[in-house]
Amino acid sequence: MSDPVPLTTDHPGQVASATPPAPGRSRRLGDRGLAVAFISPAMLLLLAMSVFPLLWALYLSFTDYSATRGGPANFIGFGNYTAILTSAQVHTRALTTLIYVVGAVGLQTVLGFGIAYLISRRTHGRGVLTTLFLVPMMLSPVVVGLFWRFMLDAQFGVVNSMLGSLGLGQVEWLTRQRTALLSLIVVDTWQWTPFIMLIALAGLTAVPKYLYEAASIDRASEWFRFRTITLPLVWPLLLIAVLFRAIEAFRLFDLVYILTNGGPGVSTETLSFHIYKVAFLGFNTGTASAYGILMVLVVIVLTQLYLRYLNKLKEG
Amino acid sequence: MRHPRRIGRVSASGRKVRLATAAMLLVATTVTACGDGKDDDAKASAPKAPATIPELTKDPLTLSFIWFDWPPAKALEAFANAEYKKERSNATIKVNTVPNANWHDAMFTQFAARKTDFDIAILDSQHIGEAVTNGNILDLTDFVKNNIDVAAYNPYLLAAYGQFPQAETGKRDENASLYGLPLLGDTWTMIYRKDLIGDKPPQTWDQMISAAEKCQADNPGVSGLAFHQANGSDAAAVTYNTVNGVYGGNLWDSKTRKIDGVINDAAGQEAMDVLVNKMKPLTAKGSGNWFIDEVNAAVAQGKACIAFNWIAASGGLLDPKQSTLGTTREQILDKLGFATLPSQKTNLVPLGGMGMHVSAYSATANQTEALNFMKWFERADIQKKWAAAGGVPSRTDALESPEFLNAGPFNQVYTDSVPRMRDMWNVPEYARLVNIENTNVNAALNGAKKPKDALDDIAKEQQGVLDSSGRKGGGGL
Repeated sequence: MSDPVPLTTDHPGQVASATPPAPGRSRRLGDRGLAVAFISPAMLLLLAMSVFPLLWALYLSFTDYSATRGGPANFIGFGNYTAILTSAQVHTRALTTLIYVVGAVGLQTVLGFGIAYLISRRTHGRGVLTTLFLVPMMLSPVVVGLFWRFMLDAQFGVVNSMLGSLGLGQVEWLTRQRTALLSLIVVDTWQWTPFIMLIALAGLTAVPKYLYEAASIDRASEWFRFRTITLPLVWPLLLIAVLFRAIEAFRLFDLVYILTNGGPGVSTETLSFHIYKVAFLGFNTGTASAYGILMVLVVIVLTQLYLRYLNKLKEG
Repeated sequence: MRHPRRIGRVSASGRKVRLATAAMLLVATTVTACGDGKDDDAKASAPKAPATIPELTKDPLTLSFIWFDWPPAKALEAFANAEYKKERSNATIKVNTVPNANWHDAMFTQFAARKTDFDIAILDSQHIGEAVTNGNILDLTDFVKNNIDVAAYNPYLLAAYGQFPQAETGKRDENASLYGLPLLGDTWTMIYRKDLIGDKPPQTWDQMISAAEKCQADNPGVSGLAFHQANGSDAAAVTYNTVNGVYGGNLWDSKTRKIDGVINDAAGQEAMDVLVNKMKPLTAKGSGNWFIDEVNAAVAQGKACIAFNWIAASGGLLDPKQSTLGTTREQILDKLGFATLPSQKTNLVPLGGMGMHVSAYSATANQTEALNFMKWFERADIQKKWAAAGGVPSRTDALESPEFLNAGPFNQVYTDSVPRMRDMWNVPEYARLVNIENTNVNAALNGAKKPKDALDDIAKEQQGVLDSSGRKGGGGL
């Protein structure tokens, strides 16, 4: 019987060098070589599909290149960036996106946490309820957009039909300035509240039971327990869920495309939808690249600030 | 003493080697992705098609089209496979379709890649300028001279579906180059409820509005009008352009490339006022995002007194399975009438329809087959068969033939409308111009902007697009 191979060691290098090479293994391909060989395909794919397009977009953002017109890409310095940052059109889309992100993510956080809190207090049927609540999240946003478009149709939609049966008037959900943006927020909330709920539920399940037991011995009220035990312990996890959702919502495109096409007028055009128009209606590739790079920068900066706040919270 | 090599740490020289390798990989990726740069340096101009059709292949071949998803696309594929195969048994016709909203993007992103999975692009007439300027489609001028009887067409139809630079309304420049040939003619028809407003269609725009107003008041639950208002494709823009034309307005001065002061002149303002303040109140609530299908649905379900739609998309209205107006085609036709658009200050109608254009990036054998198909399609006998199959031909003899006039109740409307047609701007900036007009007209129709502000914004923004060619940076904003 051979000696058992140690699972861990303080000197892994020594163990590795002491082990004789496996029979048939090339002497020139050491552990390091093997590691490189295994990760190279992934690295190459990453370079080709992620790093290169990003660097190429960065290069194009300083040019007046157009994908359809061909011809050379003339260097124009920060011309595209200046034009984007000073454009009234971009400011309008940025405001629309901000309202959308705050509205949708705020609503999803409140609802998601609320549902998770209620589910966590149940002892029976928790798994079934959680699965049912997760269904919207599993659907494609295009499919969600299409069936909500039918449901919100002012003439034939089921939502107005229900309102009618309650004696309320017809609402033009998708063709009026205020209701169109509200509809986008509602549909996004319907689809993505389960995401917040899932993360909040994980946080709530992880709260140690003995804290509640100690609180009940002290006859602490329900509100006191929630405020001083539940919320502080779930809060950091909830903030991470909010971060993910905010980044997703910031680059919203599909729901806008299907539900309102940016209308009425341009009142529900988000930044991503505007980039699509710049990139594909006039094929202004240079401008669209700069626009995309700026959006990435905004996300990175805001995320960094947010993470710093999270770290402080953790340290506190 | 020899120290064992530590895992996880690399010497300075090793790090340099890795960095150099990573840099080389990045450069290699860049070079591979960018190709040899020939594409970028290629001069943007349309390559010429041969004047005579070269020898056709005897091998099996699929001739691919690209169009948007609507009934004529299915009709074309069925018709071409049934008829063209009689002469070219090795050829199969495939009409690839995309949603209407993605039509322009689907074609031009492939053009941008200099590689297309289609041989014949069915372009909207206004796309020609963009495709020609970018060198995406073949110049057919010499081919047409040798193979097509141009005298058999209304000159404007040839010009609208193939000529660049753009033709003036109703005229063709004999010396201009041709880049396409007509595939499907189209214009708007007025669809009216004979049982609600009478057998005789309104003759003027004012009469039409009055008739719709009365019909709406007399028939609760039925709206007076239904027309395109959506902000996608060219929906709301065509609606405004139609009313603009009828009220004597112009979209631009093509010679001076002036839009500001032309589209928003007194006639333009009056047209916008009529559209927003007189026509819109007669439409159904929430119809601000309606396009072809929604207008047809409203007519088929008996919810509109008068509607406007493209003729090529109106065939489904006579299908009893899709209609609540009758259980047979005859019963439906007892209630529905089709007429040319009413006139007011002018009798202009919008030009619709599309032409066939050969992709510059298609294989030579497929380009040859495409030219042969186009020559075949434009023959007098084939145009009549196309008419009988539900298509809208462009040859005058086919338009006046019983095969066409008896094929649908709206075909006479098309034949009568041909001399009255007006197109939009056929310039490379079309996609952006139409987007500006669509979004602003849609905003005015849905209360997001005042009509005058919307029209002034259209004029200002469109002029900005035409004037921005020399701008450094920010193109497209």
